[in-house]
Amino acid sequence: MTPAATPQSIPPPVVQVRDMDFCYGASQALFDINLKVEYHRVTALIGPSGCGKSTLLRCINRMNDRVPSARVTKGEVLVKGKNIHDGDVDLTQLRKQVGMVFQKSNPFPKSIYENVAYGLRIHGEKNKSVLDEAVERSLSHAALWEELKDRLHANALALSGGQQQRLCIARAIATVPDVLLMDEPCSALDPISTLKIEELMHQLAREFTVVIVTHNMQQAVRVSDYTAFLHLGKLVEFAPTEELFTNPREKLTDSYLRGTFS
Amino acid sequence: MNSLPTPSRPPLRSVLLRSRKHTILGVDPQKLIKYFFGSNASVAIIVLVLIMVFLLREGIDFLPTYQRELQTYRRAGLEFCDIIDQPLQRNQALSSSLRQAVSASLETLSKPARDRRDAAFLLKRQVEDKTARPRESLRQVLEKTPPEPEQIKVLRGELVAASASAAAALSYPDFFSTAEREQLQREFAALTPEVTDLPPLLQTLVAEFDVKDGEARTQFAELVTAQEEFEEAAEPLQEVLDDLKAKALETKEKAVEFDVLEINRQRLLEAAATETDPEEKASLTQEAEESVSEAVNLEESIKEITGRTAELREQVEKYAVVIEKAAAVLPKDAGTGAARAMVNKVREDIPAHAREMRAAAATLEGWRWDKPVSIFRVIGAFFFGTQWITNSSWQDFYGFVPLLTGSLVIAAIAILIATPVSVVAAIYTNQFASEREKELIKPVIEFIQAIPSVVLGFIGISLLGNLIKDVSEWGWLQWVPGFPIQERLNMFNAGCLLAFMAVPTMFSLSEDALNNVPRAYIDASDALGATKLQTVFRVIVPAGISGILSAILLGLGRVVGETMVVLLVAGNRIAIPDFSSGPGVIFQPAHTLTGIIAQELGEVSRGSSHWQALFMVGIVLFAISLLVNWCARAVARRFEPHKA
Repeated sequence: MTPAATPQSIPPPVVQVRDMDFCYGASQALFDINLKVEYHRVTALIGPSGCGKSTLLRCINRMNDRVPSARVTKGEVLVKGKNIHDGDVDLTQLRKQVGMVFQKSNPFPKSIYENVAYGLRIHGEKNKSVLDEAVERSLSHAALWEELKDRLHANALALSGGQQQRLCIARAIATVPDVLLMDEPCSALDPISTLKIEELMHQLAREFTVVIVTHNMQQAVRVSDYTAFLHLGKLVEFAPTEELFTNPREKLTDSYLRGTFS
Repeated sequence: MNSLPTPSRPPLRSVLLRSRKHTILGVDPQKLIKYFFGSNASVAIIVLVLIMVFLLREGIDFLPTYQRELQTYRRAGLEFCDIIDQPLQRNQALSSSLRQAVSASLETLSKPARDRRDAAFLLKRQVEDKTARPRESLRQVLEKTPPEPEQIKVLRGELVAASASAAAALSYPDFFSTAEREQLQREFAALTPEVTDLPPLLQTLVAEFDVKDGEARTQFAELVTAQEEFEEAAEPLQEVLDDLKAKALETKEKAVEFDVLEINRQRLLEAAATETDPEEKASLTQEAEESVSEAVNLEESIKEITGRTAELREQVEKYAVVIEKAAAVLPKDAGTGAARAMVNKVREDIPAHAREMRAAAATLEGWRWDKPVSIFRVIGAFFFGTQWITNSSWQDFYGFVPLLTGSLVIAAIAILIATPVSVVAAIYTNQFASEREKELIKPVIEFIQAIPSVVLGFIGISLLGNLIKDVSEWGWLQWVPGFPIQERLNMFNAGCLLAFMAVPTMFSLSEDALNNVPRAYIDASDALGATKLQTVFRVIVPAGISGILSAILLGLGRVVGETMVVLLVAGNRIAIPDFSSGPGVIFQPAHTLTGIIAQELGEVSRGSSHWQALFMVGIVLFAISLLVNWCARAVARRFEPHKA
């Protein structure tokens, strides 16, 4: 894995978090976070349990909005240069640009086809051929097309766990988002399914920008170009993955990677 | 670091032995507790089985009993008479239409006069009511001997004063002129107990009406005669039929009496057979022999009836001819549009009625008194019978269809009303309501369950019935089918109340179903940018649909089984509602499966055919409930995708 830092015309980072504090009511969960996510790179967020990596991920598509009293108290989150907390931001459009895959696979109790087409349908797409094409493209990206093309109208819940998770990825990329957020997507899967999804991630990075939360440091090494290490709500270190794992700048990172604490 | 002393270990061999525990009667108490819990669970099952056995035991004899009754009905000749009598019922309906048409026509001319007459009589009665007490005392004094002139004079004065004040206090309708009002007031004031003649002005009013009525009758002479002719047409036929019916009924009563005696005799003989004491045995046998009565010679008496078949047929033919003639001379016009419509309807219906009568007469020949009534016939007569007639002097029929129809229509109304209300309320409460709203809505809706159904019935009678009737009379609502309604107590009223009763069940279960939709579905939908409404209608409701459907079915079960409200509010008319009037049918009264049991079971003698018939209804009701509940469970399983 080579963190391809080929400086071209330097496009702005697709996601930029600036000096952000985040609170659940009175308790502060994130402190002064600064993070830049580059186009077509896989960025991993690692850290011990409860360090705020999932919260940070959910700040990017404002999934925290549904938690009463949870809010950004300082700083801003920019997606494609736009502050997503601005009054004129349409949440629906934001989430169309920033897709998400959850820890536990959660396909709808509908057919495979309807699952993938759901995102397009809620954004008003009715044209059958557009939907067909999007379903085929998304399933192909998720490496499911060959397996499932003959039973697109079977219930999605009849699939295996790994297939379900890949279906969720297909569903998330059907609307062609810029960023794909993944919240420990492999934690509930067996090693073989995990491997498949990790392979998939390299493919996905060609089309999308991926931000992945993971518990598994080996996974971070395997899939990511950049890694951010969080601890107790603070971003301790953010660097190209190779650099962070081989030559951490911070002592805290070093001891975490060595397994002195977890 | 000082380690604490290790507790001494028991010797090796005894470690694995089961320690001695207390036993109760040699049984481990843990097992006893287990059996106790198990037996409590099985009590429910045992009771359910017992209920089924009891219902079946009481109800299953109904079919043979009813078969015997229908057999007697045929053998005694009642069925024979009904072949003609049933279609002849139509005559009364036609007759009454004609009568209404005639009176509506006459009213066009005589109504003002009649109103004046009736109003004057009403006023007179009001005065009399108000002066009842002085008049009564005066009458008592007048009847005394010897008369007491002093007292009479005083009381008469009192009566006159009372009459005068009552007459003055009356409100006279506008159609009396000032002069007439004054005269009426004078005449009322002068009313005394001795004078029985009507006061002069009242007499004039009566005469006025008679003149007008006479005029009207001349003007609509054709209609009046046609109506009279039509009414008289059935008389000769009815006479013959009444003769036959009387004979048939007599035979039937004798046959029934004989049956009762015979059964009694059988019982005595059975008792004698098992009796061991020879003396007792002899007396029982003797009693049995004494009670032997003469069997009715059915063949003999039926001949008397069937012997007159030709005569009956002839009368039917005559009747048909006469009514057809009457139809021909029915005038094209009548006093009002409604009357004209009625006359035209009758004119159209008469040929069909005549045909029906002739067809009925033709079947008389093929009728055989000794043809046995098959059990399938009996089953058909119960399940497809359109008449539920009990305590009849003629013949009891236990036809199930009117009750079933009533129950089903009411249940359908209730479910149609309750489903949208409760499901929408559940969606709102589950998905859109704030915590405070939830805290208000849920307990309030669940509280409805606590309202005793008899109280709801009360509300239906005193409040909802009047409300629906008043609303149905509003002019701008007349496009609604069935408006204005005739009966305050009807299926719609009952359906509304049952809907109200079903809402808590359906609401709570639907809400549970929505609650059980996994959070992850909502997360996924939100993360794809769906709006709240899109999430609700594309993900949550489809995922919860099995629970919602099963909630609706359980609501249906509750509605079908509910008794008190329908008994009080449905109107209790045992007849199949007239579906020809379209959707307006829901404003007709009806009786129900549950209502009939509640109403009649207390009054029938145990073990009679009526008793057994009610148990049959109970069995069917039970079967319906089981079916509905089974469906609810099946639906819940069938559409449970997230548990697949």
